[in-house]
Amino acid sequence: MELNRLSLHNFRSYAELELEFPSGLTALRGPNGIGKSNLLEAIGYLSTLKSFRGVPGEAMVARDTSSAVLRADVVDADGRAALIETEITCNGRARTQVNRVRSRRARDVLETFVVSVFSPDDLKLLKQGPSLRRDYCDDVLVAIRPANDLVRADWEKALRQRNAFLKQLRSSARASLPEPEATTLAVWDQKLSEAGDILVSLRESLVARITPAVAEAYRDLGGGSDLVEIRYQRSWKGPLGDALAEGTGDDIRRGVTLRGPHRDELEIRLNGLPARTHASQGEQRCLSLALRLAAHRELTGSRGSPPVLLLDDVFSELDPRRSRALLDSLPQGQTFLSTATMLPDGCEPDLDLRVTNGGAQVREWVP
Amino acid sequence: MSAYADSVQDLIDAFARLPGIGPKSAQRIAFHLLKAEPEESRNLASAVTAARERTRFCERCFNISEETLCSICVDPKRDSDLLCVVEEPRDVVAVERTLEFRGRYHVLGGAIDHLQGVGPEQLRIKELLARVGPEETREVVICTNPNLEGEATALYLNRVLDVPGLIVSQIASGLPVGGDLEYADELTLGRALTGRRLIQGEST
Ligand SMILES: [Zn+2]
Repeated sequence: MELNRLSLHNFRSYAELELEFPSGLTALRGPNGIGKSNLLEAIGYLSTLKSFRGVPGEAMVARDTSSAVLRADVVDADGRAALIETEITCNGRARTQVNRVRSRRARDVLETFVVSVFSPDDLKLLKQGPSLRRDYCDDVLVAIRPANDLVRADWEKALRQRNAFLKQLRSSARASLPEPEATTLAVWDQKLSEAGDILVSLRESLVARITPAVAEAYRDLGGGSDLVEIRYQRSWKGPLGDALAEGTGDDIRRGVTLRGPHRDELEIRLNGLPARTHASQGEQRCLSLALRLAAHRELTGSRGSPPVLLLDDVFSELDPRRSRALLDSLPQGQTFLSTATMLPDGCEPDLDLRVTNGGAQVREWVP
Repeated sequence: MSAYADSVQDLIDAFARLPGIGPKSAQRIAFHLLKAEPEESRNLASAVTAARERTRFCERCFNISEETLCSICVDPKRDSDLLCVVEEPRDVVAVERTLEFRGRYHVLGGAIDHLQGVGPEQLRIKELLARVGPEETREVVICTNPNLEGEATALYLNRVLDVPGLIVSQIASGLPVGGDLEYADELTLGRALTGRRLIQGEST
């Protein structure tokens, strides 16, 4: 996969920008806060239709303008050229076209253009609660096979419906459920367990497949011979439908569904101990890179060509040895990296850009 | 302060409140009418008023009707023991276009959607249950939309239509997932109807 040309209009600090990129490595250099990440964010948005920094759409539209327009000429995994265009309005709504055909769902774009993002925030995958790790898992599933987005969407819609119904039941607080409430809840238990069973089996098979890949990536990144394990821990036992039925009382009291894939944990262990509490900062950073690298390799294999790689200020946090190890471990493919400091040793960009002037200009770097 | 005269702004607002019409389209329609012959506005106004005043819900199937009972309910050529359950009157039109269904209908008035405050009690399900006995219904074909709310409604109906001897079938998959019946083309919907699958009762 490749990004040949990018044009931005009123996207964050970029009023107008048009750039062409080589197949290899593009470096974006400049001091912090000048807009290097904005550029990577724009490229990422054209794949997933969301910001990898987790901000809403309207935050990406330049101040005092009505909408941002992003355009990309890309080449998909099969070598076909495609034009991806999206307009984000200042109220956060987005309209996207692939080859001038309106696409309503993020997965339409993912069929054409996939990115892998590495950023210093990845450390949160190790340090924070389980929701980021579940998202990691689901995002990889969708990138591998965009139709998996339907599974996630079905699950989320069913969960929202069941929770809305539980809140309604909570306000009417009765000991045993009368009709038609009992049948209605049974219907949602069934819809939720159908969707949840599929989602969890996808997640569990991904974890089984990716665990050795994460361990290998950890070794490649210089993490040594530590034992790396990932365990998918369900928040319930037995069939999900039964667990939901058993938990009805608790669920109604709390007004939310307390068991299911949305409460599951992806525990990462290092040498037999939970990495979140027992690994050092350095080990956690290496593990977070290993999670991203393993996903990137998995995607390279399953999609038939490497996703476009976005390395957002990754090297500032790594020592020279680990930076080198990361660069050596990446599959050959188009790469964009941003840095406020020096490029790692031996890193020779095909296009070396200097981002200046409040991010509004991008000029070729002349050393 | 509005940029338009009050009456024009009222007209634009009235159009903008209609489903599927955004502020820009509302403006375009309003100015179209103001530019056209007065006759066009009078015709539109009287068509809206006439349709609204002359129509009501059929007392049996809740389809839109100009009489107490709709034209399908009073048609003697229709199989009286076959019922097609749909969400909205517009879905009756969609199924009718396929020319594959010769029974009668029951319009629920929506689908279960707690986020919109719609539970089974808000739908015409009691009225459906009250029909199957007296009308000696042999088969109920559930034709709700192929999205989550429609599927959940179908599941609910399947559970409450637990009547001895009654066949409950559901429109076959093959319709685009997450879509509306209304937007399925006639051929696809027709095929889905003939290929409906039995979910309860005995096959005939
Ligand atoms: Zn009728």
